[in-house]
Amino acid sequence: MRLLLALLLVVLPPLAVADDEHVTVSLLSEYAALVPGKTAWLGLFLQHEPHWHTYWINPGDSGLPTKITWQLPPGYRAGDIGWPAPLRIDVGDLQNFGYEGEVLLPVPIDVPADAKPGTTVHIGAQAKYLVCREECIPGKTDLVLDLPLSAVREAASKQFETARAQLPQATTWKGDARLHDDKIEVALRGADLPPISDAYVVDRKIVNYARPQISTNNGTVTLLFAKSDYFTTAPPQLDLVVRAGARAWSVRVPFSSSP
Amino acid sequence: MKRILFALLLTFILAAPALSKVSVGQPAPDFTLTDSNGKSRSLSEFKGKIVVLEWNNPECPFVGKHYGSGNMQRQQADATAAGVIWLTINSSATGKQGDIDGAAANAYIAKVGAKQSAYLLDPTGRVGHLYGARTTPHMFVIDKAGVLRYMGGIDSIKSTDQDDIAKATQYIPQVLAELGAGKPVSVATAEPYGCGVKYGS
Repeated sequence: MRLLLALLLVVLPPLAVADDEHVTVSLLSEYAALVPGKTAWLGLFLQHEPHWHTYWINPGDSGLPTKITWQLPPGYRAGDIGWPAPLRIDVGDLQNFGYEGEVLLPVPIDVPADAKPGTTVHIGAQAKYLVCREECIPGKTDLVLDLPLSAVREAASKQFETARAQLPQATTWKGDARLHDDKIEVALRGADLPPISDAYVVDRKIVNYARPQISTNNGTVTLLFAKSDYFTTAPPQLDLVVRAGARAWSVRVPFSSSP
Repeated sequence: MKRILFALLLTFILAAPALSKVSVGQPAPDFTLTDSNGKSRSLSEFKGKIVVLEWNNPECPFVGKHYGSGNMQRQQADATAAGVIWLTINSSATGKQGDIDGAAANAYIAKVGAKQSAYLLDPTGRVGHLYGARTTPHMFVIDKAGVLRYMGGIDSIKSTDQDDIAKATQYIPQVLAELGAGKPVSVATAEPYGCGVKYGS
């Protein structure tokens, strides 16, 4: 995998990699060429120094999620960042959600059908992030990729296979979220529920970020969170990522207004 | 019914979050801390005045955003000129980032031209925990009757970019203007953002 990455880096121009303090940020392409009319996956690859981390879409009690601003030619469109399941970073009384070590944040790019094979596409991405250990350092990096357009799809980077495996899997579980005084109770029902060990709410200002109390009863898994101090009104639905060991799933449940 | 009993049982088992919960509309808890000049200060000594609490860590880039731009100093100056008491509180634990003594705090104040009423040192984190301070900056506004009227972020755009200050809603001047005019507080809570407060482990 490292050899493949090194090969990719040889092919890519130097501005695709930025070695900021404590995290190296680079822009990777899943394929060596873009294909007209086909979604291409690019990714922000973050390599953290040991003990340093960047943040998930909901960073928790402090921190900032990584943001990407794209500069794309007309007709091209970037989708949202696919967030691999985060780690819980316990800082005593405060909780954060983020990434250590190596992580790839994949982003889908729509390539227009009338793009011309044989030409080169210039793609810019400005990444803004906060990298922290105890202290925090804001980072801003401008990255570019020049990719050829080809009629034929070529060999894929294994980096993206790994990233896809780390994205939370979609589920068909049923469930709901309810507000009970200063607790938020999420119930999940399904025949194939895994042994959930942790859960992270995507929406901010809903739950306190401490690990929820998790219990199982007759095929229903209940996640009991304390309410956020910044809770105002219940949203129509709640998005969560639940984890069982290394595997993770994304869940959306309606917020039920009756107790 | 079973569901309610179950939830009640778990309520007793579930550990309360380690940071205390103050609530808008409730009395702000009293506290006593030593200021940067070695003087003991209490919230209760300011009864009858509006008090702003500002959690600070001189080394945090989010604090740097608001001081580097002059935003915090301007808000401090405007508030104190109008008779508001502005207390800056540092809850960094001894040996952690941002931990400073009184002399260093005074040097910092002079260097950045800060205009608070007092800079209070909370190295045990006792008052930070009491108020549930989780980031620097993290802001609280207490009215003349000692009731908490605002808690949360300093403004509406969560970033380290000074350019965002002019585009954001600055919550403290807004709250102070509404309190001064006897109007309801339109934004009583906003999620705080910043570096985590460096409590001891």
